[in-house]
Amino acid sequence: MSVAQLAGGRVPRLARRASARDPLVIAAALVMLLIAVIAVFGPLMAPYDPNQLYVGPVLSPPSLEHYMGTDDLGRDIYSRVLVGAAPSVIAPVFVVILSTALGAAIGISSAWFGGVVDGISSRVIEVIFAIPGLVLAVLAVSMFGKGLIAPIAALSIAYIPIVSRLVRTAARAELGKPYIAALRIQGVSSLAICFRHLVPAVLPPILAQSTVGFGYAMLDLAAISFLGLGAQPPSSDWGVMISAGQPALLTGAPEQSMFPAALVVVTVLAVNILGARVTTWAEGGDR
Amino acid sequence: MSDFVLELDHVSIAAPGADGPLMLVEDCTLQVTAGESLGLVGESGSGKTLSARAVAGLLPEEFTVGGTIRIDGEDISTVAGKRLRGIRARRLGMVFQTPRAHLNPLRSIGDFMTEALVTVAGEKPDAAERRAIELLAEVGIPDPDRRMRQRPGDLSGGLLQRVMIAATLAMDPPILLADEITTALDVTTQEEVMAVIADLRRHRDLAMLFITHDLALAGAVCDRIAVMQHGRTVETLRAATMRQDAVEPYTRRLLSATLPADVRADSTPPVEPVLVVDGLRKTFQVRSPRGGREEFVAVDGVGFMLAPGGSLGIVGESGSGKSTTARIICGLEAADAGSVTVKGEDWTTAARGTAGRRRRARIAQMVFQDPYQSLDRRQTVRACLREAVAVHRPKASRGELDARVDELLGAVRLDAGLADRKPRSLSGGQRQRVAIARALAADPEILVLDEAVSALDVTTQVEILTLLDSIRRTMGVALLMISHDLTVVRRLCDHVVVMRSGVIVEQGTIADVLDDPRADYTRMLLDSIPHDGWVPRRRIPARTTALPTVATTTTRISPPGGPK
Repeated sequence: MSVAQLAGGRVPRLARRASARDPLVIAAALVMLLIAVIAVFGPLMAPYDPNQLYVGPVLSPPSLEHYMGTDDLGRDIYSRVLVGAAPSVIAPVFVVILSTALGAAIGISSAWFGGVVDGISSRVIEVIFAIPGLVLAVLAVSMFGKGLIAPIAALSIAYIPIVSRLVRTAARAELGKPYIAALRIQGVSSLAICFRHLVPAVLPPILAQSTVGFGYAMLDLAAISFLGLGAQPPSSDWGVMISAGQPALLTGAPEQSMFPAALVVVTVLAVNILGARVTTWAEGGDR
Repeated sequence: MSDFVLELDHVSIAAPGADGPLMLVEDCTLQVTAGESLGLVGESGSGKTLSARAVAGLLPEEFTVGGTIRIDGEDISTVAGKRLRGIRARRLGMVFQTPRAHLNPLRSIGDFMTEALVTVAGEKPDAAERRAIELLAEVGIPDPDRRMRQRPGDLSGGLLQRVMIAATLAMDPPILLADEITTALDVTTQEEVMAVIADLRRHRDLAMLFITHDLALAGAVCDRIAVMQHGRTVETLRAATMRQDAVEPYTRRLLSATLPADVRADSTPPVEPVLVVDGLRKTFQVRSPRGGREEFVAVDGVGFMLAPGGSLGIVGESGSGKSTTARIICGLEAADAGSVTVKGEDWTTAARGTAGRRRRARIAQMVFQDPYQSLDRRQTVRACLREAVAVHRPKASRGELDARVDELLGAVRLDAGLADRKPRSLSGGQRQRVAIARALAADPEILVLDEAVSALDVTTQVEILTLLDSIRRTMGVALLMISHDLTVVRRLCDHVVVMRSGVIVEQGTIADVLDDPRADYTRMLLDSIPHDGWVPRRRIPARTTALPTVATTTTRISPPGGPK
């Protein structure tokens, strides 16, 4: 047994096994489960109508009647957070799915065909890269009107370059390996080489990127809502709530912004911790 | 106290494992006297590298080392951190197998060479640079001033290995640990590097622990040989008389593995060749040193024939164009000019579409050098072979496919129990057997072997070569063997083509070419192979400065910290 084998073969397996029992990963999984339950059943669990004004006093601190207090219009923050979970969590999921699917397709075709296809797609990707996601979203909103669809579409496009560059590099490295040449010489069809061998090989970095992407998408969408361009008041999207709570924050009643903001942070953290774990698992065949 | 500069006394090394500590080295015992060269020989996994790393303090921290290691008679386990680092820095030099992996590609050779001189020896930068140039000249690097400004990417493997050697000499160590330093090099470069080492040992009275899996090489350059197997040093022999003195069956097996095989006598009757290559030419666009692009001719005017069921070897150093030729034949590269004809059919351009590739797949298959990268690491052996079989039998049922997979495993003599493993839990030899089985799945008529045994141990090499030979005899597959190793070609082939810088230097039957070479280059290749009484010589007139014999030895001879 050589040192290389020891470093490459034994230690990571131990590390993997340890991380399965890692309390942090278990906690992250529980948090994700909880958020998913809230996103689905939130409206049923809400004790009050989230948009009903003056169910309690204005800007009251947390109490037994209002677990998270009330906002500047006397709405129950707890109910609003529960109902707002669905759009806040599902929108970034769409962004991640769309950008990953498109980005991976572009990256893999760039690496596969090379030459002109690679040249053109790389230039287009560079142009998209040059435009900040938020600017693109503002542009989309001005064209398609306010709401969640425009920011989702804009952010999906804005995230494509990150995914496609990563996938292109990984796929090129993989295509250079002799086992791909061996498959060609055996007469295995290009489609089979691509989907049975190449795609699984580049999956770990894609998975890693998409968990990071989820966090970015959630924060960017919250920022867009905060700017008043995404979900619109009186919607209880977390981003809108953070934005709407701004004046109250200055008057010493932080509840309206604080609770949804804490949820954004906790969700993003949990997704990233789980993402690291899933990536290690997907790499399982490598080491 | 003893006269040994380096002594390992019942050294054992254990790594922490899932089920308690794992013994990697059980008992390594050896002694090196001043100026002596000891060869440490064994297959990969026998623990030779770990033992050397234990001496140099390069093992992972969680490893535990038992027994005693003495440097200059001093037990290093009794010496504390900082002083031990000092002893290692000044008394030991270590050179590794892959120089490229040990050099920062972004920093110049000069940076690398002067770093230790400035930080450890405390020399002034300009003095360090002068000394670095002196050292580079000592290891026979031509034009050392210019090399100092170049980066690792601009230098060949052989030159880089010399840079590594020069760097280890910076501290004037009396002991050199050389770990498979020529394994990644071809024979002529190996001879160059060994000649440098021989010179250094003469001029500096350097003791050396020379680790290699090549017993013939060790026998030629070392005074004594320690043989290691399964983590134990099983026997120590005088190099000069090792063939007579060897007692251990393992040593005998290693010795027989390195013996040159009989020259193949069977002559093939004149038949229609299965493969005809004619006037092949291939150029690549490369970046020129001046920034523009220039043409590099990889293959030029190459032509040869391969008889059905015959075996042809293409030999040459790295960069001779032999691999490019093989890749063109298999359709992985397109030729610029010339033709490849297989069974009367023109194969010069790559096959169009899957159907065309499949038809060719049933005729020519390829086995690659690196068994670690030529299999998909996600597939089990069975999945890999089943895929290769299914390509040509789309209608076969799962049962039929599995039957064929078992048949293939039998053909390469691989235990069926390994079929459900993934490549990472197979040895190099086992992986190469899987790659051969995969190539045989299509029942090909030509098997192209691109350095297929170069990455393997000698004993594994012999096993794979024997397997390939029996496959050729039983299945009638013609073999095209690409190799830099003449002994491998001699063992397997009846015809040989010698290539250099893209052109054919000489070709003919093995007996004609290897026993009575006409070209100087072939003779040089043959002379580079380590054998009994072999003395490595510098054949390539690369030296531009005279070898400094006195200048370097005046710098520091006394032990560090003054006389004790």
